[in-house]
Amino acid sequence: MFLGNLESLKYFLPELAITATILLLVAAHVASKNRRSAAPALLSLAGVGASLLLVGLLPGGPGTSLFEGMVALDGFAVFFKALTALATIVVVAMSMDSAELKDKSQAEYYIFLLSVLLGMFLLAAATDIVMLYLSLELVSIPSYLLAGYLKGRARSTEASMKYVVYGATASGVMIYGFSLLFGLTGTTHIGEIGRGLALGKATLPMFLAAAMVTVGFGYKIAAVPFHMWSPDVYEGAPTPVTAFLSVGPKAAGFAVLVRFFYTVFATPDAAAGMWKFSSVDWPLLFAVLSAVTMTVGNLVAINQKNVKRLLAYSSIAHAGYMLMGFVLLTPVGLRAILFYLVVYLFMNLGAFYVVILVANGTRSEEISDYSGLGSRAPFAAVALSVFLFALTGIPPFSGFIGKVYLFAEVINRGVYWLAVVAALNSVVSLYYYARIVKVMFLEDPRESAVLPVPAFPRAMLCLLVLPTLVLGVYWEPVIRVAADSVKLLAF
Amino acid sequence: MTGPADLIFYFVAALTVASAILVATLPNIIYSAVALLFSFAGVAGLYVFVSADFLAATQVLVYVGGILILILFAVFLSNRISTVKISNPVHFNWQAALLCLALFGVLSYTAVSTKFPVKPGLSYQPTTAEIGELLMTRYLLPFEVASVLLLAALIGAALLSRPEGEKERSADMEEPK
Amino acid sequence: MLTEFATVLVFIVLGAATVALMLGVSRLLQPRNPTAVKLSTYECGEVPFGSSWVQFNIRFYVIALIFIIFDVEVALLYPWAVVFQRLGLLAFVEAFIFIVILLAGLAYLWKEGDLDWVRTMQETPPRKGER
Repeated sequence: MFLGNLESLKYFLPELAITATILLLVAAHVASKNRRSAAPALLSLAGVGASLLLVGLLPGGPGTSLFEGMVALDGFAVFFKALTALATIVVVAMSMDSAELKDKSQAEYYIFLLSVLLGMFLLAAATDIVMLYLSLELVSIPSYLLAGYLKGRARSTEASMKYVVYGATASGVMIYGFSLLFGLTGTTHIGEIGRGLALGKATLPMFLAAAMVTVGFGYKIAAVPFHMWSPDVYEGAPTPVTAFLSVGPKAAGFAVLVRFFYTVFATPDAAAGMWKFSSVDWPLLFAVLSAVTMTVGNLVAINQKNVKRLLAYSSIAHAGYMLMGFVLLTPVGLRAILFYLVVYLFMNLGAFYVVILVANGTRSEEISDYSGLGSRAPFAAVALSVFLFALTGIPPFSGFIGKVYLFAEVINRGVYWLAVVAALNSVVSLYYYARIVKVMFLEDPRESAVLPVPAFPRAMLCLLVLPTLVLGVYWEPVIRVAADSVKLLAF
Repeated sequence: MTGPADLIFYFVAALTVASAILVATLPNIIYSAVALLFSFAGVAGLYVFVSADFLAATQVLVYVGGILILILFAVFLSNRISTVKISNPVHFNWQAALLCLALFGVLSYTAVSTKFPVKPGLSYQPTTAEIGELLMTRYLLPFEVASVLLLAALIGAALLSRPEGEKERSADMEEPK
Repeated sequence: MLTEFATVLVFIVLGAATVALMLGVSRLLQPRNPTAVKLSTYECGEVPFGSSWVQFNIRFYVIALIFIIFDVEVALLYPWAVVFQRLGLLAFVEAFIFIVILLAGLAYLWKEGDLDWVRTMQETPPRKGER
């Protein structure tokens, strides 16, 4: 049952709140005299906060189809809307603390940030390839602008440029895949496409379409071999933007990947969660994608000297871990992905927050400049250690529980080799994460001056450390929410 | 379809492909841009043959009338423009050529061998009104979202291309030539 | 519909033929007596100097970028204009929202001075925080 355009509006309030905030930001910028005032940041905090509250009021459950079948309203979409809005709030707070962005015009930055958020809301819910493509571009294009926001800095411009070129190629390949699906079924609605593709053997055009669509989504989640852009973009972009890109669009990319493949290529009785077309070994293909992604990410991260670059490769590796939950397309595996995304949001944003604070003081993002941070800024150093150990997946921290769920599903379904690869990768990652901790606490500081951490970022760091620790010992409510959110709108 | 129409179709298709090859191979980037004009116009012609009249008009309006001009301006902007001889060097890379050929083979084989369901009785009716109606009803949400996307792109384009800093700003003050 | 586009084709062919004809006839009939002065570029009687490849002012580029955005807007609004009378008030409101969102962009450009072609050296004092 599709709701019409007018009836859908009352379920569309979060998106409307964001759009209104964007327009208000433009209006405020036109009316104001001061480019560097904090007003746009506060306005966007209020807007995103309001929209997060409105998301909380949305009914979850099995869901309905809004706007003549353009977007879905289901637990899955609500989950990702809440997740991306939360990430945006943290990133706005980070951006207010970042020295890089201080002398830039503020309003445009938040306009782009909120445009990406609107795009992610729609991407997580899109059930029509026209809507899907448009929201993917709404995520991408302002992201290019954000990556190049530090206009005077050559690295930032390079980041933006590379992002555009790779992004355009990936979009082009993806939309070719869409055109094949449209040609086979004559409809743009993914539910109807799923029904239109006959059961049984996967034909060549169907396989090609799946592969090409994977290129587009793989680019968003930075899976190997579509990850080439991410180290340069992550290094060149302003650090708050890097943090945002590594969490927000990546989560939205997973959302669209799951929804698209679940609707088009999974069996109608989704409880079994089996791939529909038997002649291609889909689980094997995605298992290889997952294994290659985590291995390349981790191995290249070992030699990095720049913290942002290291975290870029580590976020590639984490995309690989999360793909483990996708391999078999089972609800339990998807639940593990959702849970991991929550955990990943706190630990990754937290790590980047510390990078920003350190860069504010030292003007450097080199790992060697973190020497002696344990004595110069003990609070930040301890927080960063917590985040890094959580990223590794060491027991008392939340990252460990996230990994346990991902591993469990793969092992239960008998894909042992993937679990072994992932375990080896975790060991490798311990090496480079622990290296930063070692530099911070065991090496002598180059300067002894204390790095001040103001009260506001201190409070924010506490808010990020807390879930990272708590979810490591008491994760029951979150996993229940994740399990409830796996209910995708079925057609 | 009658004979002459077939002939014209092949002519337009050949024009499109040949100018696209010229875009990639011509050594002078300005010539490449002009070749791109013919490629864009050829694509518009192909749209006409699949009864997509609105798309053909949009192709001319946006690509020939807008994107191409933008590309030319971008070329004129580059500060090493006087050395046009090196502006568009051609490197032949056999790995890339092999990959492209393989991709071309797979894609064209797929396109030819697949039995796409075809609506019987292709009719050459104007499509604009139908598109307008769909945009206002079924595809309303994408239509409105497109305006937000255009807004972000507009602000971003102006922000990134605007001269900034003392030197650039004073250079910008001079009367454009 | 195809026949209507045949008119376009005839137009293109006739245009191309006319250009070819005029250049060809002129080529056949003209006396040829080239000298160095005659072959030089005509610059309103001045002696030409410098290269003809000059770097363009960036303002052309900014304007072209803005033009493309509004070009796309027009392309999207055109189908609406065709059916506007049939669909009535609802379609009007829908297109109104579309245009208002883009008008915000126009207001931004106006405020930032991206649309001013002639800029004086004594610009209004820069806003606080502007570099």
